[in-house]
Amino acid sequence: MNVYELDRIEHLRDWLALSHQVYQAVENDLGNCNWQPIEHGEVVKFKPNVRPLVSPKSLFFSEQENMFVFDGEKFRETLPEHGPRVIFGVSACDLTAISYQDKHFRKDPYYQARRQQTLLVGIDCTKPCDGGFCRSVDAGPHVKDEIADLILTPMPSIGGENTGWWLICSSDAGRAAVSGMDLRRADSSWSSWREMNRRHTEAEFKSDVHIINGIQRINARAVPDELWERLAHQCISCSGCSQLCPTCSCYATRDVAEDTNMVRQRVWDSCLMVGFQKEASGANPAAEAGRRMYRYWYHKFSEDYVAQMGRYGCVGCGRCESTCPGSVGVHSIMEKISNA
Amino acid sequence: MIKTTPSVCPYCGTGCGIGLRSDGDKVIGVEPISSHPISKGRLCSKGWSAAFATGHENRVTSPMIREGEGFRKASWDEALTLIHEKFSYHRDHHGPETVGMISCARATNEDNYAIQKFARTVLKTNNIDHCARICHSPSVAGLQQTLGSGAMTNSIADVGKADVIVVFGCDPTESHSIIGSDIMKAKEAGALLMVVDPRRTRLAEIADVHLQLRLGTNVALLNGLVNIILERGWEDKAFVAERVDDLDVMRKAIAEYTPERVEEITGVPVDQQIQFARLYSHARAAFLAYGMGVTQYVSGTNNVMSISNLALICGHVGKQGAGINPLRGQNNVQGACDMGCLPCQYPGYQQANDPAVRDKFAKAWGTTVGQIPGMTSLGMNEAMLDDAFHALMIFGEDPVLTDPDQNQVTKALKKLDCLVVVEMVMTETAQLADVVLPAACFAEKNGTFASCERRVQRVRKAVNPPGECKSDWQTIAMMAEKFGAKGFGWANSEEVFNEIVSVTPIYSHMSYPRLDESRGLQWPCNTHHPDGSPVLHERSFPIGKARLIPVHNLPTAEQPDVEYPYYLTTIRLHFHYGCGSMTRKSPLLERESPKGLLFMNPRDANNQKLFNHAPVGVRSRRGYIETRVVVTDQVPPGLLSIPYHFFDTPSNQLTNDAQDPVTRMPELKACAVRVEPLARDAEPKSIHTLRALHEAELAE
Ligand code: SF4
Ligand code: SF4
Ligand code: SF4
Repeated sequence: MNVYELDRIEHLRDWLALSHQVYQAVENDLGNCNWQPIEHGEVVKFKPNVRPLVSPKSLFFSEQENMFVFDGEKFRETLPEHGPRVIFGVSACDLTAISYQDKHFRKDPYYQARRQQTLLVGIDCTKPCDGGFCRSVDAGPHVKDEIADLILTPMPSIGGENTGWWLICSSDAGRAAVSGMDLRRADSSWSSWREMNRRHTEAEFKSDVHIINGIQRINARAVPDELWERLAHQCISCSGCSQLCPTCSCYATRDVAEDTNMVRQRVWDSCLMVGFQKEASGANPAAEAGRRMYRYWYHKFSEDYVAQMGRYGCVGCGRCESTCPGSVGVHSIMEKISNA
Repeated sequence: MIKTTPSVCPYCGTGCGIGLRSDGDKVIGVEPISSHPISKGRLCSKGWSAAFATGHENRVTSPMIREGEGFRKASWDEALTLIHEKFSYHRDHHGPETVGMISCARATNEDNYAIQKFARTVLKTNNIDHCARICHSPSVAGLQQTLGSGAMTNSIADVGKADVIVVFGCDPTESHSIIGSDIMKAKEAGALLMVVDPRRTRLAEIADVHLQLRLGTNVALLNGLVNIILERGWEDKAFVAERVDDLDVMRKAIAEYTPERVEEITGVPVDQQIQFARLYSHARAAFLAYGMGVTQYVSGTNNVMSISNLALICGHVGKQGAGINPLRGQNNVQGACDMGCLPCQYPGYQQANDPAVRDKFAKAWGTTVGQIPGMTSLGMNEAMLDDAFHALMIFGEDPVLTDPDQNQVTKALKKLDCLVVVEMVMTETAQLADVVLPAACFAEKNGTFASCERRVQRVRKAVNPPGECKSDWQTIAMMAEKFGAKGFGWANSEEVFNEIVSVTPIYSHMSYPRLDESRGLQWPCNTHHPDGSPVLHERSFPIGKARLIPVHNLPTAEQPDVEYPYYLTTIRLHFHYGCGSMTRKSPLLERESPKGLLFMNPRDANNQKLFNHAPVGVRSRRGYIETRVVVTDQVPPGLLSIPYHFFDTPSNQLTNDAQDPVTRMPELKACAVRVEPLARDAEPKSIHTLRALHEAELAE
């Protein structure tokens, strides 16, 4: 594996911006953080350890997109078109989610059109984020080799000051993207430093007993229906958890008239909404809110999905907890389940 | 290229922060804002679907002029010339009292300010109103008498500082979901939750105490509670002595409301009344929120004053975690009131009947202003029916759908010589217009909204408006130019805002940069409170001492009888908002509640042999609609409820326009109906079909 030394992260970003459209998490004046495009030469400081409330999911699986146009005679597929892109500074949980979605959408032409044009630059987290529990579900805090093209990991700091970065080329595409850039080879000490760093970070995570206990109970089907029903009573079907969850992938379709054409669109959906499975007849297999809530968490933590997808559906980002108006996001749910 | 623009949710008065994700000129999605002081990274289903409200489908994109039964495209110049001709003719020949404007509680402060300024300085009329009339005008009228100010006295954040929370006549988890969320969180953290509502709402389900009173008996219950508290000496004696007038009058007037009598009227058992009275009066800080279940009655103003009485004697006003807090419906209904889009008030609640105020504004605006007292929107409707009103301009409101007694409204509007509607889409009201002007939506303009906690926040433009759509203040500026009027030549929304600040004392220390910096400022924001006022009335009330005003229980104007045996009340569904013209564009929200629905108690359903989703007709003395039944114990026997968002089964066909004598607020919350089962497999007919059938019958 090629590993290089890097003084400033911005140098790498600027290099990549020469030939790619680069998206990076940027904090705005209001203290909010989103994925924003950054041009070559633009001076925007890179802040490690920030993770936007919105994951990069929408950059692959768009919240609203056209699928095809019907002009009265022929159907024409409308694939998204754009040049090569880089998503810069993605943390381990989000990268794990992207690789999960890669599997789920492996045959989806819209997703793949965007995904294949995109280079992922991951970054190792050096402290747990608010509400994050990636460690408990094997999704972080460090980036696994196979889920990013390039990985940034910090060199040991001196007196709290960052002294530079190691740049790990973990795929051919990653190697190709930095070829031509003026970089120093790293000496072999990087891997032991990185390993130590990981252990330090992992030690800082809060207790996850409720998560582990909750997973056990869900898989043992040890959560009574009445409890689901009671918890679901607090769900106001805002759809926020599905919108923010980096591994939620449901969509609904609709047809929109545009001039003389008919356009089929797809939009994000949420299985917590009562209409999600409503059939034309009005029958609904998950009419009770409790069933819907159970289904959501079953999808995130069931061993049945591990068999199918190679891992849990949840990557431990904690976003559903921070956006849930009903206090039934992941931590609240797992605590309530394990205390039941 | 995808970017995110921070703005404010366009739906309810909570005022959540929303990031608009746009790709070119299309808003593709939204994101919550973690650092927002109110929403803190949360949104409700309406907020999450806000991108769909900005879609270009069905938008009106150029001025349109009526031609026979339809419309034709026109240039701005042609449309404005026609408007100028008609409005100036009626103003000059029939008097300024025969023309008027209805502004929009969804538009920005800048838009609303420009609209009332145009009415007062160009049309020389005080006939200016907005839709608060049909949600919270009794709050303004009631609280202005008892406290001296009609807004929420405290802040949303105070929910988390209260030890007792009272939710009166509303379900914030449906109507103001993020406030509802704060209430659920506070309850989980240990606060005591008490709900007063005829329906078993989501919050009632988790509440510690639920007083399930009979429809329309609020005043009796509140008087009873006050009586219990005074009898037992549970009032806050120091607060009452120092800051409240007329305790003795109050004591005498309500002595007749003994717990037993109140139980008879309201159906709330004596021990529950005493329990509630004890908990509320003994709380360290009790946050009381109320909604349309209090205001939409003939006795709306009385209801509000009774709530105020209860809070005042317990000293739950003027401190953190407490307060009297009306939850206002639309995103900027607070702003529309602040901006003086009311017949009797100039910007900043300065009285229109005060000659000194009129002089002040005449000077500031450099022209004469309307002198004759103005009419409310319902007053204007009546004048239209009497042929005493000829030209009306409506901004972004759909009175045909939202006003009570829809048939009357349509009849009134059809009598106008000139109806101008400024709208995004062809609403039912726009269909009746002579001229339709294209309006920009919230994502297409800059400006400010004022949320229900008096927080003025910046709204930012994320995309360009389609076609020739404009912000209302721009439309007004062009119109003013046509009328030859000066003082409307603003270059941008910030200039409008600076003018607002200069004439509105409660906004006097605000500016765009200051709003940005502090993420919104709560009025009054002036020399005494340069950083805004999270809590009102901390030291004194605007009227000095607060007043206890005893009121008596009046029955609702219409009561169930043999012929019409059910009470019907209108409700708001979480997924929809106002008349639904924005939310129904979202495929997911549309799917959530696709048809107008009638909620009915299982016992009643059983007696009428109705099953879940059975098709039924609902008839009142005024109208008839068809819909489907939902059987639920959310409503008690004898009470039906119906959402008012759907234009194919408009509930306002049925409701009563009996009005509150003070504010002329119509009684939307209670009327008497009967339910007529249809054939089991019948498909409920939309109002349009029913109307067509009716007309065909008449023709025969
Ligand atoms: S379920 Fe919650 S914590 Fe898990 S990945 Fe989804 S949003 Fe993150
Ligand atoms: S975020 Fe919470 S309230 Fe919203 S849909 Fe998910 S579980 Fe329900
Ligand atoms: S609570 Fe109100 S302001 Fe907040 S997201 Fe929902 S509709 Fe918008």
